[in-house]
Amino acid sequence: MRATIKGKMAAVAALSAAVLVLSGCGGGSEAAGSGGSATSGEVNLIAYSGVWQDQYTAAVIEPFQAKYPDIKINYASKRSSAEMLSALQGQKNNPATDVAIMDNSVSTTGNKQGLFEKVDEESVPNLANVPEKFQDKEGYGPVAMLDAVGLVYDTATFPEAPDSWKVLWDPAYAGKINVNAPPSLLGLSLTAITSKMEGEDYTQGIDSAVTRLKEMAPGVQTFAPNPDEYQNVITGQTVLGLGQNARGQFYSDQSNKKMGVTFPKEGTVYQINTINLVKDAPHSEAAKTFVDYALSAEAQTAFAKALFYAPSVTNAELPADVKDRVVPTDGSLNIVPLDVEFLSSARDKWTDTWKRQIITN
Amino acid sequence: MTVLEAPAAPERPRAQDEGQLERATERRNRRTYLALLLPGLLGLLVSFVFPLAYMVRMSFNQGAPDGVIVETFTLDTYIQPLTDPYYWRVTLDTFQMGVTVGILCVIVSYPVALFLARSTSKWRGLLIAIAIAPLLTSAVVRTYGWMVILGTNGLINSSLGGLGLIDTPLKLTNNMTGVTIGLVEIFMPYAILAMISGFGRLSPQLEEAAGSLGASKFKVFTRVTLPLCLPGLLTAFLLVFVLSISTFITPRLLGGGSVQVLATEIYDQTTGLLNWPFAAALSVILLVLFGLIIAVYQRLTKKIGG
Repeated sequence: MRATIKGKMAAVAALSAAVLVLSGCGGGSEAAGSGGSATSGEVNLIAYSGVWQDQYTAAVIEPFQAKYPDIKINYASKRSSAEMLSALQGQKNNPATDVAIMDNSVSTTGNKQGLFEKVDEESVPNLANVPEKFQDKEGYGPVAMLDAVGLVYDTATFPEAPDSWKVLWDPAYAGKINVNAPPSLLGLSLTAITSKMEGEDYTQGIDSAVTRLKEMAPGVQTFAPNPDEYQNVITGQTVLGLGQNARGQFYSDQSNKKMGVTFPKEGTVYQINTINLVKDAPHSEAAKTFVDYALSAEAQTAFAKALFYAPSVTNAELPADVKDRVVPTDGSLNIVPLDVEFLSSARDKWTDTWKRQIITN
Repeated sequence: MTVLEAPAAPERPRAQDEGQLERATERRNRRTYLALLLPGLLGLLVSFVFPLAYMVRMSFNQGAPDGVIVETFTLDTYIQPLTDPYYWRVTLDTFQMGVTVGILCVIVSYPVALFLARSTSKWRGLLIAIAIAPLLTSAVVRTYGWMVILGTNGLINSSLGGLGLIDTPLKLTNNMTGVTIGLVEIFMPYAILAMISGFGRLSPQLEEAAGSLGASKFKVFTRVTLPLCLPGLLTAFLLVFVLSISTFITPRLLGGGSVQVLATEIYDQTTGLLNWPFAAALSVILLVLFGLIIAVYQRLTKKIGG
């Protein structure tokens, strides 16, 4: 009798083991879909999280879905372009993503690694409205929107926007500054800007910049602002910080102008996002329809109004009050060129330099 | 049973039969145990052993810029951190943080645990539930809570400033102080639970006996109560230490980028610089550190227990 019970128990155990194995192996096949058509199916999009996701969904994805009700957009959000690249690298042999919107320094790496497909005007007609300077030389994903690094400030402390990056070194604000250290693009940009301010060619070396940044470091409240660089200023934890113009403008409105964002005279660095078609994407036809819509004047204008990103197409007409607040792309702004190819080789080294020499406890 | 009832069998064969029967039962038992263990073992294999093996294999690859992983077999990923003073400092800081948080957590949790373990109140169950209730909230939420409390304009600084005790706000966050405060509070429920379950040998009769023999309350505590609590205290310390050195969220959020420990370094290498082989090697180093600590702990508890 005992043996029978034991036998039954063993059978149950074996059965549950089998179920466990089956359920464990069952997932993962969902990604494999058919190519679908250009006006139906779904598109798996990978892009930024947080307020970017909220605004892009409202300004671009929802109108797109109203126009193409048979295409469903599945939005997978990531905190950074590097995280997106990492996800795409993991799916290389069995892509589950169709479209990626990411920083161009990272998408260039993706292009080199064969993660993305080339796009042409035949499948994406709106590409014709993207000026040559915003198209990829080899025909990969074009620029979808532009922004630049700005100086974020507390409007109560600074009734007039500071006009120089040098304010970050002002002892009066020591302990009230937030600086996002590399690998954040903000920190990498500040390194290049400081280097330029010191009259140094950062492609050759950043010794002078490091010396200057070391002087600033003791006055930095945080090198990894949380929840983010804007809330830190809005809540009064800090009064100055690095930030991106687009989000800065958005949060300035949200906080009832408690915080402002400006481009100091010494120059700034563009933050450029490209829209990319994933190679061997499971829903490539619908994906092209989405990329085309994302490059339409309608979508570009809507997103500029929502989150103050500069459009990358020539036919987007912005209202004057929005145009004044997005980053100029006509050459009127002093830009510190941070070459994508160079950045890819410098990112690790500069991050290491910050960790070892600049950030102190 | 049937074998035992068999009539007048010769001595040796009976013993042999019994031995065989025992062995057969043992074999059957072993098979049953194995079958019962199988689902759990399979789950462990899929969710723990495979990923761990993958991570160890990854640590011998070579990381190239931009997340490119060169499949090879190299020890460079280990040689680099082991020969670089920076990573020794990070490892030492991680270790120090674990020890500090472990000790502080044991000190603040001990009175609570001792009270709960000895309580005979009908509310004991409820009190224990209250003590461990913070576990119902995620560590992220509690860390954000600490950010609000410890910040420049936070509860502590504004109270001290309001009372005129300080002119400039104390720097309680974005440094190791903030991380330590946050971790101690976050891991307190674990320490309390570990202590309560480790106080098994604690008995009021022994304390009463010591008291009746003339020992002062202080002496009773130091000579009777505390030694009996030691296994529980050690378990709690080990648990908090292990949780601390592997934790990522709190050092990341309350450290403000200035607190560099192995977990934050692994995160940066994985998601920021996409150097997975290097991150994997650091993870293996952290794992070895765990192993060493646990081995030392077992020796120590054996010594105390023995």
